[in-house]
Amino acid sequence: MPESLHVSTQFDEDLARLRTHVLQMGGLVETQIAASIEAYASGEVDGVRVIVETDRRINDFEKAIDDDCAHVIARRQPIASDLRLILGISKIVTDLERTGDEAKKIAKGVRRIHDAGHLPNQYGSGIRHLAEAALSMVRQALDAFARMDGALALSVIRADVEVDVEFKSIIRQLITHMMEDPRTITASIDIIAISRAIERIGDHAKNISEQVVFVVEGRDIRYDKEAIR
Amino acid sequence: MQTMTPDQIRVLIARGKMKDTVFQALGIICLAIGLLVILLLVGDMLMRGVERLNIEFFTGFASRRAAQSGILSAWVGSLLVMLVTAAAAVPLGVAAGIYLEEYARRNWVTDIIEINITNLAAVPSIVYGLLALGIFVYTFGFGQSILSAGLTLALLILPIVIVSTREAIRAIPAMIREGSMAVGATRWQTCRYHIIPYAMPGILTGVIIGLARAIGETAPIITIGALTFIAFLPPVPFTATGMDGATAGLFDWVMSPFTVMPIQIFNWTSRPDPAFEANAAAAGFVLMGMVLSMNAVAIWLRYRMRKNIKW
Amino acid sequence: MVGPPTSQDTNDKLKALKDPMMHTQDKPQLKAEARNLSFYYGAAKALKGINMPIYDRKVTALIGPSGCGKSTYLRSFNRMHDLYPGNRYEGEIRFFPDNTNLLSAEVDPIEVRMRVGMVFQKPNPFPKTIFENVAYGLRVRGLTSKRLLEEKVEQALRAGAIWDEVKDRLQALAPTLSGGQQQRLCIARALATEPELLLFDEPTSALDPIATGAIEELVSELKKRVTILIVTHNMQQAARVSDYTAYMYLGEMIEFGKTDEIFFKPNDRRTEDYITGRMG
Repeated sequence: MPESLHVSTQFDEDLARLRTHVLQMGGLVETQIAASIEAYASGEVDGVRVIVETDRRINDFEKAIDDDCAHVIARRQPIASDLRLILGISKIVTDLERTGDEAKKIAKGVRRIHDAGHLPNQYGSGIRHLAEAALSMVRQALDAFARMDGALALSVIRADVEVDVEFKSIIRQLITHMMEDPRTITASIDIIAISRAIERIGDHAKNISEQVVFVVEGRDIRYDKEAIR
Repeated sequence: MQTMTPDQIRVLIARGKMKDTVFQALGIICLAIGLLVILLLVGDMLMRGVERLNIEFFTGFASRRAAQSGILSAWVGSLLVMLVTAAAAVPLGVAAGIYLEEYARRNWVTDIIEINITNLAAVPSIVYGLLALGIFVYTFGFGQSILSAGLTLALLILPIVIVSTREAIRAIPAMIREGSMAVGATRWQTCRYHIIPYAMPGILTGVIIGLARAIGETAPIITIGALTFIAFLPPVPFTATGMDGATAGLFDWVMSPFTVMPIQIFNWTSRPDPAFEANAAAAGFVLMGMVLSMNAVAIWLRYRMRKNIKW
Repeated sequence: MVGPPTSQDTNDKLKALKDPMMHTQDKPQLKAEARNLSFYYGAAKALKGINMPIYDRKVTALIGPSGCGKSTYLRSFNRMHDLYPGNRYEGEIRFFPDNTNLLSAEVDPIEVRMRVGMVFQKPNPFPKTIFENVAYGLRVRGLTSKRLLEEKVEQALRAGAIWDEVKDRLQALAPTLSGGQQQRLCIARALATEPELLLFDEPTSALDPIATGAIEELVSELKKRVTILIVTHNMQQAARVSDYTAYMYLGEMIEFGKTDEIFFKPNDRRTEDYITGRMG
């Protein structure tokens, strides 16, 4: 990625500001995911309210960054690497906002389980492991963005395959459990919802990484299974 | 530097304006001196010669009696000599100017030619006269005729015509020339359709200024021996001459003896009879009139032709 | 009877979707090619071994910072340098379909200029009537028939997108037109002789944005019939108007490619730096 500066320092400042805001938003999303995992593991529901409120800030971030992108395009008519950066940021920010929503869903799911009087059962560690893998993917995707590291981004995309596999295995176990003991159905449904949210977080991290590859290399590798080998 | 207060600015402007006014006044004074001198000269001639300015003055030949001495042969002679001068100098000078500016390669040979052309303009006119005497009058055998005089004066103003032509051509922007060549025109087509038409105002001005100078040249004409007492006109083509009843040819006038205005004036001033002073003054006034009107024509022509040429 | 789409239909549709910009007949033909072209102003080497294709009936743009040699390169195509002493070419410019070397000493520059037209940076109509401006190129080719001249002049003025504005005043003097109109007149003048290649040397740098837009529109129209090579210092213009772009720097050709690719992801770092405004 070119490190040299534009003749227009204002342009450099615009781009620097955009990247900083994306990383700030990303940091906030990471915190949300971590908090929701903590709520699931500990069963403490006080944090859930905070998570739900913080999600509003994430939404505000998305709007502000998209607005900023539009102004930079209008003012600077960016091309080549600058254009790819702006386009990439716009899409990354969408995925980050949705990731935030998924974290909110996890938190709300935890509250429902708690209100119904249940506790996370023996699937606790499996879910937790899945959630931490997804969080790690999000962290690495944002790192790849910060450093404009195409190789790191590709590794995140590959990691999503494992997350999907693990998610499917958890679902199978839950189904088996439900068939064995119908009293666990209500709780299991909530846990399925939580698992799906975690799996989606992994997908969003993959999307973010695909955009990083787009910005760095100019390749659009979405929906292209061949590209990540 | 600190920013100036409005008051300081005003003081500065006032000082500058004063210098402006002083310079303007000086300029006007110098201009006035020049104009005044001309006006005095012309006015003086007018006053001294006004008694002679009548139709007979213009239509009468020179005579031993001052009151009846006219300038007919002189102004006709001047006109005819100018005709020959123009006919010789214009084609030669313009063609030379075009060649030097458009076709000739820039090397040391053309540099030397360029220097020598400007040197030609500095040659004293009497030297031209001597040259003409040897070559035109004797070697070529043209004799003491309008032809010799015309050719001599043509040589005299040749540098002016060449330089005017070159300057006029140089004033044409390169992109007009490039525009013509870019369309596939040859050098000559570009010259014919663009260079010459656009340079015409400048060339004409140069030619007329040259002629205005030539009309007043006395020394070379004397040297070739323009007779000072001429009481006849050069033969008009296709009319009978008094001599032997033969009809004059188309170009017989060119070989005829003649006189010109400056010579006539010179002749009258060297007469002992003070009455001829008036004649000389009147003729001088007429000569000034001819020169000034030629310059006026040059200015008017240039204005008319410049109007249509905008880059 | 219409059945369910076969896999062939689906494949074709997908191929079309994959590259909607691609036309199946789009194999670009060569109109001209610079081969190892160098140029010297006296002792100074202004162009250094340029190799570059010019594709038939496409617009090729030359971009680069001041002094990079793009105008020098452009003016080699119609031998403009021959008008001034001390210039020297090395290498070739091959012109197709006859494979002539435009720079060869055996080829008369006038012949080259009859096949290659030029529009200059500052509009330079002759100080003559509008009609005479356009008719000039035809006159120098020996065309004298009044009817034919009028016909061809009208054709050229229409092709230059200026006929409607001047058809009632063909005898007016060209310099009375506005700057944008003058430039379109100059384009019409160049088109009158039906050149095979049309050179534009920063044609809109002296014009306001609306006149610029009109000329860019005209260039897009013209390329259907004429090959166009355009020098511009305005990168957005190169992006808007050209099919191929060449980036030059200090007399060398740094990169040449399809405009879409150069402006999305150029191969050379120097090209990227220049077009994104990172130089200096």
